[in-house]
Amino acid sequence: MMKHIFWAALLLFVTQVTQANNVDERDPLTIIEETSSNMLQTLDERRAEFETDPQKLRAIVREDLLSLLDLEYSARLILGKAGRGISDEQLGAFADAMSNVLVNRYADGLLEFRSDKQLEVLPMKGKNTDKLTRVRTRIKLENGGFAPVDYAFRKTDLGWKAFDVTVEGISYVITFRNQISPRVAADGIDQVTEEIIAGTFKIND
Amino acid sequence: MTRKTLVYVAAGLMQLLILAGCSSQQVTMTDPERDPWEAYNRKIHSFNMAFDNAIFRPVAKGYDYVMPDAPQRGVRNFFRNLSYPVTFINLILQGKFEDSMTATGRFLMNSTVGMLGFVDVATKLDMPKYDEDFGQTLAVWGWRDSRYLVMPIFGPYTARDFIGRGFYGYFHPVSFAIREYNNYIPLVVDLISLRAELLPFQAELDAANDPYVLVRDVWLQNREFKIYDGDPPQPDYDALLEEY
Repeated sequence: MMKHIFWAALLLFVTQVTQANNVDERDPLTIIEETSSNMLQTLDERRAEFETDPQKLRAIVREDLLSLLDLEYSARLILGKAGRGISDEQLGAFADAMSNVLVNRYADGLLEFRSDKQLEVLPMKGKNTDKLTRVRTRIKLENGGFAPVDYAFRKTDLGWKAFDVTVEGISYVITFRNQISPRVAADGIDQVTEEIIAGTFKIND
Repeated sequence: MTRKTLVYVAAGLMQLLILAGCSSQQVTMTDPERDPWEAYNRKIHSFNMAFDNAIFRPVAKGYDYVMPDAPQRGVRNFFRNLSYPVTFINLILQGKFEDSMTATGRFLMNSTVGMLGFVDVATKLDMPKYDEDFGQTLAVWGWRDSRYLVMPIFGPYTARDFIGRGFYGYFHPVSFAIREYNNYIPLVVDLISLRAELLPFQAELDAANDPYVLVRDVWLQNREFKIYDGDPPQPDYDALLEEY
């Protein structure tokens, strides 16, 4: 009996420690800078490999990116009123399905990058609080122009996490919300989550 | 194009418009505040999609197929450079005098060194780019929120931007060519090259749950982005959540 309690306590302790270690102490600007430079470096070294097998890049992106995002918060924003009364499991499943869509799009977009000089992180500007902040970047396009890409971050118990991305003023959360929430209201969350996983739900994928 | 063919084309368009009107189902308002004319807008949107499918997109695809990427970019650069008078006047009207000087420098540079604007030398030299029009000026002057309005062929507007567009004709060289010389070629080339530029987004549109709402969302958000010169206020996320 004592032995069991000991192991249980140890296990609890270990999980707590690892969780404590998982708190991201970095500020949003550093998160974006470090993540993008790591990602672009990996891309540079293994481009040929990724081009023949985009699934590999998707897996890497998934691994590196997911811990930086607050997926459930994004999911709640996207669902809005339509998410009222759904269980944590349902929210989790929906958030997970959405993250797949997002990760795959991001990974496929990444392959278009030709050099790390194409990405520039701009100085912070505008209203930033200790709870909510925006990191602005711009991507140099082939035609010489720029595409501004902003990331919205919020402070969570595990540090700063991104929950929205905005390209030329067009927000992922807002745009997906208006495509998805009416469907959820009409057909229910399980049906929509299933369709997203199966790839039959029509959302710009 | 003879007058007779024009009449036929016009009659065909009217028919499409009527068909689009009949086939649309009952509309629930998805955004009564910004889009109170949704029922009408959806009809015009369906017509525009039909027109795009039948004429606009195939022509743009042909253009895209025939023209290599570099000259295609050149044509877009040329038309963007041509919109300088509109940009300049609106920078002045919005009190951005310094920017209006830079815009003039950019125009002179691209028109000369950039061979009539086909090469965007100014951007290569890191000169800032401006995108201003009368609709944006009206917004800066205080008409912030305006109803969404879909126009036949020309697509998304707001009431404010449609009025702004009325002024446009006096200052834009493409409209000038139509008014003074009855020459529609610049307008047609401008539209086709613009449509060709948007071809890569077709997959997104085809895959949308509600293409009408997608176009509206993307257009209105991007418009806001332009009005605030690339630095719009963040969406009110808390409000999105409060509904939850």
